[in-house]
Amino acid sequence: MMEPRKEAEKIIREIEAEKGITLEKEFREKLKREIEEKIKAELEQRKKEELKKIKKGEEEEEYFIRFSLNIRLQHLTLAIGVLLLIITGLPIKFHESGWAEFFFELIGGIQVSRILHRVGAGMLIFVSIWHTIYIAFTKEGRNEFKELLPRKKDFLDFYQNIKYMLGKTNERPRYGRYSYIEKFDYWAVYWGMVIMVLSGLILWFHNFFLGIFPKFVFDIAKEAHSDEAMLATLAIVIWHWYNAHFNPHIFPFNPTIFTGKISKERMLREHPLEYEKIMKQKLMSEGKSDENQA
Amino acid sequence: MRLLHLTLIFLLIEIANAQLKNERCFICHGVKNFGIVEQGKFKSLYVSREDFESSVHSKFACVSCHVDVRVIPHLAKPQKIHCLQCHFEGNVVGAPVTAKPEKYKESVHARAIAKGKNAPDCKDCHTVHYVRRPNDPKSTVFKANVPELCGRCHTSIKEEYYNSIHWAGIQKGELSSAVCTDCHQEHDILPPEDPRSSLNPKNVVGTCEKCHSDVKLMKRVGVPVKNPEAYKESFHGIALKFGVVRAANCASCHEYHNVLPSRDPRSPIHPANLAKTCGKCHPRANENVAKGKFHVLPGEKESGIVYYVYTFFKWFTLIVLVGLFTHIALDLIGHLRRKRKKSEK
Repeated sequence: MMEPRKEAEKIIREIEAEKGITLEKEFREKLKREIEEKIKAELEQRKKEELKKIKKGEEEEEYFIRFSLNIRLQHLTLAIGVLLLIITGLPIKFHESGWAEFFFELIGGIQVSRILHRVGAGMLIFVSIWHTIYIAFTKEGRNEFKELLPRKKDFLDFYQNIKYMLGKTNERPRYGRYSYIEKFDYWAVYWGMVIMVLSGLILWFHNFFLGIFPKFVFDIAKEAHSDEAMLATLAIVIWHWYNAHFNPHIFPFNPTIFTGKISKERMLREHPLEYEKIMKQKLMSEGKSDENQA
Repeated sequence: MRLLHLTLIFLLIEIANAQLKNERCFICHGVKNFGIVEQGKFKSLYVSREDFESSVHSKFACVSCHVDVRVIPHLAKPQKIHCLQCHFEGNVVGAPVTAKPEKYKESVHARAIAKGKNAPDCKDCHTVHYVRRPNDPKSTVFKANVPELCGRCHTSIKEEYYNSIHWAGIQKGELSSAVCTDCHQEHDILPPEDPRSSLNPKNVVGTCEKCHSDVKLMKRVGVPVKNPEAYKESFHGIALKFGVVRAANCASCHEYHNVLPSRDPRSPIHPANLAKTCGKCHPRANENVAKGKFHVLPGEKESGIVYYVYTFFKWFTLIVLVGLFTHIALDLIGHLRRKRKKSEK
C-alpha cells in the first residue's frame, strides 16, 4: 500500500530534478498537499469499485439447493403425467363440445387419445410407487416426509397469514421448509391419487374387474373419476399455479422445482426458519472443523 | 256409298272406344276365377271391382293405364305398365309426384332388381289395382299392416318381430310403436354398411331416439325417456360418437327385431340374461352385471348411490374451490394494498 504523502513528495522531487529548479517552500507545500488529495481520491475510488465487484460476485453465487434431483424428477414425472391426463381426459368429460371433436381430430382419433391417457396414467402410478419407496427407504425421503407432516404451527401460520393478508399485522408468518400452502398441495395429491388411481384402474381393467365387482361399482368409479379429475384440474390450474408461479412475488415463473435452486433473498422471505436452521448447521460444522484444525 | 260405310265403321269404333268404360272390363275381369293358363300355370286375371273402386285410382278408367287396350275384348296381352307412366314431374293427369321413386332407386330392393334378382318394386307393396292412402287402415302400407307386408318375403324376421314389445304396442292400438319402416325407412332402405343408413352403427342411436326421446310418447307408453341421453354420456356412447363402431349401440344389447322389456324373461336385458348379453363383448361378465342400474344419469336421484357420489363431489368441489379462491383473492388484495401504501410513502 502506497502512502499518498510520500508519493506526492516523490513526484515533486522528480519534476524538480527534471527541470533543474527548486520551488519556493510555501508553493511546494501547497502543491504537495494538492497532489496528495488527488491520489487519495483515486485510491478511494478504486477501493469502492473492488468492493462492488466482490459484492456482486457474492450475490450471484449465493443460492441454496432447495430440492434434490430425486424430488425434481418425481415432480417432473408427475407434472407431465397429470398434464397428459388432463389434456386427454377433458375432451371425454366435455364430449359434447366442439373443441372436444376438434381435439380428437387433431390428435388422430379417440383411440390415440385413449393410449395417451394410459401413458399418463402409467406415469402417475409409477411416480406414486417411486415416492412411496422414496419416503420409506431413503434418509432424504424420510426427512422430507417429516418436514411435510402437518403440525400445530401450520394452523398458527395460517391464522397469521390471514391476518397479514387482511392487513391486521405487518408480520408475515415465518415458514420452515414447507409452508402450510405447500403442505396442503402435497397432501391433496394423496387424496387425488387414491381416488384417481383406484377408479382409473377399475375403468382401465374393467373386463377383469367385471368378474369381481357388481355393476354399480363401475358407475361409481366413472363418476368419481370424472368429478375428482375436475376438482384436481381446477386445484392445479388455479391454486397450485397461482401459489407456485402466478403470484405477484414470483410472476410469471418460478424455476425452483425444475432447477432445485432458490436465491438467498427468496429463502429469507419464504422460508426464514429453514434459512436460520441451515445457517446454524453451517456455523456449527465450521466451528467443528476449526476445532479439528486446532 | 263406300265412303259412307267407312265413316260409319269409324264412328262405331269411336263410340265403342268411348264406351271402353270400366264396367266393360269387369264383365270378364270381375269374374272371380277368370284367368289364363300361362306356361302351364293358372294365372288369375281377376280384379275386385269393389276394392278397385275404393282405391285412390277409382276415378280413372282401366284404359287410362292400360293404354294399349283399344278394343274390348282385347286379344293381345297388354303391355306391362309402370307407376312412373303418370307419377312423373309435370304430368297432366294430376298424379302426385314425390321424391319416393328416386329414394327407392337407392334402396337394396332396387339394386337387387338391377342385378336381376327377385325383389319388390312399387306394386309389390302398394298393390296393383287397390292402391290406398297410407293412413287408410285397409291399405297394405297402413302402419299396422306393414309387418305383414314385409313379412310376405321376410318371413322369419316377421315371426321375430311379432314377439316384440313394438308389435304388442301396435296390437294395443298404440300406432306410434315401431314397425319395419320406422327403423328401416320406407323407400330408401339401405344396407347397414351404408353410412347413410338409419341402421348404420353410427346412426342407430338417432333412429331409436326419434321415438325414445319423445317425452310425451314415452310417458304415454311408460318407457324412461332419458335412456338415450344417458347412453350418450356413457363410455359406449362417447366411443361410438367418435368413431369406435365396435362400441355397443342400442341394438347391441336390446336386439332389434324382437325388442323386449327387461321384465320379460326372453329379453336379452332381463337380469338373468344380462351376463350373456354383456358377455358378447366383455368375456368375464357374470351375474355381477345385473347388480346395479343401467342408463345411469348421475344427476338423477333414481341413480341411487351414483347420485350420492355425484352430490358429494359437487359440494366438495364447490366448497374447496370457494376456499382456495378466497385465499388467492385475499393474497392479491393484500399485496396490492401494501404496494399502494409503499408508493404513498
